Amino acid sequence: MTEPLIAKTVRDVPSIDLYTSGHRTCAGCGAALGYRLLLKAAGLNTVILGPTGCMYVANGHQFLSSPYSVPWYHTQLGAGGAAGVGTAAAFRILMMKGKRQKEDVNVIVYGGDGGTGDMGLSGLSMAMGYDYKRFLYVLYDNESYANTGIQASSMTPWGASTTFTPAGRVKKVGNARMKKNVALIIAAHPGVRYVATATLHPPLDFFNKAKKALEANGPSFIHLLVPCPKGWFTDPKYTLDLSRKALETGLWVSWEYENGEFELSYVPKPRKHVKEYLRMQKRFQHLTEDKIEEIERATAKEWGYWKEMNERKKIILPWAAPP
Amino acid sequence: MSASKKASKSVMKTLPKKFMWTGTRAIAEAVKLADVDVIAAYPIRPYTGVMNSLAKMLADGEFTAEIIGADSEHSQFEIAKHASAVGARTFVGSSGVGLAYASEPIIVTALGQLPVVAMAGCRSLDDPGNFGMEWNDVLGFRDHGWLMAWAKDAQEALDMTLVAYKVSENQKVLLPSFVAVDGAAITHISVAVEPPTKDGVARFLPPYKPIHPLDPIYGPVTKAQHIAPSLIGPELRRVIDQAMKNASGVIEEAWETYADIIGREYPAFLEQDHTGDAEIVLVTMGAYAKDAMYAAAKLREQGIKVGVVRIRYFRPFPKKELSKAVAKAKAVGVLDFSYSFGSADDSSVLFNEVRSALYDSVSKPLLMDFMFVGGREPAIEHFERSVKLLKKSIEKGKTEKLVWWPTLRGEDA
Amino acid sequence: MENVIPENDQLDWVIIHGRGVLNTGHAGTFARTLATAGVLSGRESYYYMRYDDSPERDNIPMIFYTVIGNPKINITLHEEVEPLGEIFSAIVVMEPTIMVSQTSQRALLFDGAKKDAVLVVNTSLSTEEVTGLVKKRCLAQEWHGKLVTLRARKYDANIAFPLLAALTKAWDRVALEDMLDALDSLGYSNKTDMFRRVYSDVEPIEVHINAQEATMARTRKAEQCIAPVKKITDMKVYRTYQEAAAKASSYAERMKMMPSWQQLPAGLIEFGPLPNKKNVGFTTSFARFLRPTINKKKCSDCKMCSLNCPDGAIDYNRVEVDLNYCKGCGICARTCPSKAIEMMSELLAAEGLSEEEVTTIEDALVEYGY
Repeated sequence: MTEPLIAKTVRDVPSIDLYTSGHRTCAGCGAALGYRLLLKAAGLNTVILGPTGCMYVANGHQFLSSPYSVPWYHTQLGAGGAAGVGTAAAFRILMMKGKRQKEDVNVIVYGGDGGTGDMGLSGLSMAMGYDYKRFLYVLYDNESYANTGIQASSMTPWGASTTFTPAGRVKKVGNARMKKNVALIIAAHPGVRYVATATLHPPLDFFNKAKKALEANGPSFIHLLVPCPKGWFTDPKYTLDLSRKALETGLWVSWEYENGEFELSYVPKPRKHVKEYLRMQKRFQHLTEDKIEEIERATAKEWGYWKEMNERKKIILPWAAPP
Repeated sequence: MSASKKASKSVMKTLPKKFMWTGTRAIAEAVKLADVDVIAAYPIRPYTGVMNSLAKMLADGEFTAEIIGADSEHSQFEIAKHASAVGARTFVGSSGVGLAYASEPIIVTALGQLPVVAMAGCRSLDDPGNFGMEWNDVLGFRDHGWLMAWAKDAQEALDMTLVAYKVSENQKVLLPSFVAVDGAAITHISVAVEPPTKDGVARFLPPYKPIHPLDPIYGPVTKAQHIAPSLIGPELRRVIDQAMKNASGVIEEAWETYADIIGREYPAFLEQDHTGDAEIVLVTMGAYAKDAMYAAAKLREQGIKVGVVRIRYFRPFPKKELSKAVAKAKAVGVLDFSYSFGSADDSSVLFNEVRSALYDSVSKPLLMDFMFVGGREPAIEHFERSVKLLKKSIEKGKTEKLVWWPTLRGEDA
Repeated sequence: MENVIPENDQLDWVIIHGRGVLNTGHAGTFARTLATAGVLSGRESYYYMRYDDSPERDNIPMIFYTVIGNPKINITLHEEVEPLGEIFSAIVVMEPTIMVSQTSQRALLFDGAKKDAVLVVNTSLSTEEVTGLVKKRCLAQEWHGKLVTLRARKYDANIAFPLLAALTKAWDRVALEDMLDALDSLGYSNKTDMFRRVYSDVEPIEVHINAQEATMARTRKAEQCIAPVKKITDMKVYRTYQEAAAKASSYAERMKMMPSWQQLPAGLIEFGPLPNKKNVGFTTSFARFLRPTINKKKCSDCKMCSLNCPDGAIDYNRVEVDLNYCKGCGICARTCPSKAIEMMSELLAAEGLSEEEVTTIEDALVEYGY
């Protein structure tokens, strides 16, 4: 297996965009930036499947308008995993039967947190057991069902206001469920080769992880946190700042898991108080100081586990009492 | 040579060409002969046998294909759809609530014009759970652009599957096909089936070559972008509409070619049994057409002129052929294994389609709907009684009761 | 242009332009209050966000409508009304930079407007400056109507109310009493004093622009597109349709470039751009009200801006902003380690006009369309 070209500087990243300019995404859309970086990592010999969501509707919505320079096909909200498997299966068998020339074709699914972690979890689980050499599922997590107008998903963090979990006179917290960790669920799948989490900071981290995933020789998964100016109600210019703050406060943990070995990609030293991140976002504006402290406590508790995992290089399930 | 030895010698000559197969095994043979590339499987009665057979064939190297056990029917049909988009010939199938679970990709496959071929092992829908036979599971998808054909037996199921690939993959059509077989009656009973030869099928069915494969080797295809209806909404639907309209001609030609190359002949859209001089015609689909024909033959001995029409294609619906077949009939009874609660006369799906098709006909036969629902098996006497009811309505000059449930306990039919 | 739906003549359409998310709450308040006033005055009235704009997206222009019947509304308002014909009796602009570019439907501000339409603009620009802008950028036909401008945020953080007052003063289709009743009925009685103050402060003026003076009329005449006719069998033919539609300067023209059903390929097939090309089918300059300017003297050519632009609008090699696609999000300016990028007002950059009325996230109401 050849060593993947890991980008050490920005100049190592290919300049060509295969997710090009010309889409109706929000100004400052984190998911769009994720898509751009992902396709730079994947290159031309790629087929992308796009489950319904922001990265479907915002990228089209007209006619005679497409920003994809690689073959792309829509799939249903919960069908990302199956769509990937069907696509990969066709390539594998057509090459095996001599109906198509043999070469490595990336099969990538770029699906959102709602479609992947809720409805599509079953299909994703199946996909992680399908041994196609270059199969990658990237979950772009904007922490809501964003395209339908910001509704809570299983990956909406505790305390966030969404249209299904608005803060009101009686229900004061907003979303009262804790954020589900899909990447850890996937890491428990036998046969999965590379599992990672990332966000849009540091600048080359996600690109490099995508490259590694595609060279891992089997099904891989990356959970990518993408700040969402609309859903998080932040100024579009802060998208990368939010990624950084998420890491610095420990509310997002960036890690890799390969060949049974776990490693943190980023260790906040020291971990900043969660309020530095939460107070940037209007979706948390209803939270009182004591609720913020609850989140800080839970985050601190969980970090104990992540630190231990990093030391032991093994996965332990993090746990904290819900706020 | 003794008589028995002579008999066994002639049987020996024919038996190697025929096999004792269930409907599911027969369809699996067709899938093998068609050199299918990707098969997506998920178990549910009564269609599962086809996947068991295919899995065994593949394990023994009888042909090469990728078979994937999906996590659900929803994923199963998605796998088939996407494999087809890349350029693989695909096969998939389900029954009952399994088909219901796969609703989303089933609909999208037709509207995305992918030539997937699927087996429907018709089974009653839940609730309650019921292994009986009803057609609603697949009829529920009748509006979206799938071709739908009903086989009468395992032999026809095999032949229909091969023809389905040919018709679906025709560039004037490019619509997916359901091959529907009655659960238990066809899926689970073994009968003598004669498969065509590999050469024959190779001559009949060319390899699948999509026009715009989802493949980087071809180019940056963008398939099924979200669109603005003001710009292009109705136009995209009209393309499907035209494909379905084109299908009739392609179906007819395909069966003619099949007869030429493989040597087995079928009338393309419907089979007619003694309809020429029939006063009363029974219309149905699938396995029980045989019983209807037997009942009709018995009644003819009593002097009642009755014929049977077995509809083979439900989609595209053969309005022209049906009108012609019943042109001389004074009464038409539909033997329907479906329900359509709350429809105009609380009748059933096939009946409603037949009535709609015959609305424009010059002769306006009296109509009656005989609903065989809930999966209870009908007997010959039910069909005989249906004919007698039709006869009575001819004598009275009108239909007094339109809808009957012959197998329902307490029904006075 | 003929009126495509004659029934629209019986209706008073008000079209409200704002920026997605920034103005969703304001535009919703405006449209709702106006519709309520209509109902209270005894007329059937509706309001809605243009369905095709939903979900609304940060900075992308979006449209709300209020429709007041006289007294009834006899047609179903399809939520995707395109500006064909002369429908809009009043036009409200909540974010002034929309006038420099295009509306949500990639149309001119005055496409679909009645000849005597009233224009209300939330801006610090003078009426002369606004009229000049309209003449140059927003109009492809004659306009003999009224214009009223004001700095809404001076009066209220929810700019809907001051703008409503301004509309009431300039537009004769709804009475002040009805508007005040609407405020009371919706629980906004505390806005009454401010409302009256704005009503008395604003001074609508008459504007007369002949068709020949409207710059876009000439531009449109010059750039008429020819619709392709071939069946789309491959990428080359597809591109001819895509390029023709991209050249269209009005929605009506874009519709004409769309293929007929006979020309469409089977299976919902389209084609994306070839490598190193962009999506000509959809440009996004209309989202921009802040423009990045790169100081090449400070720039160290690190490529970070180009890497981090969600829209790929900064050329990697030349480190230049592609104004066809830049949405003005400001990520590039924040990510630049040399502080070589500054965000300047798009109005200033494009027209040399100094605009002080800027709606920010802080003023925005946390409300979402669905």
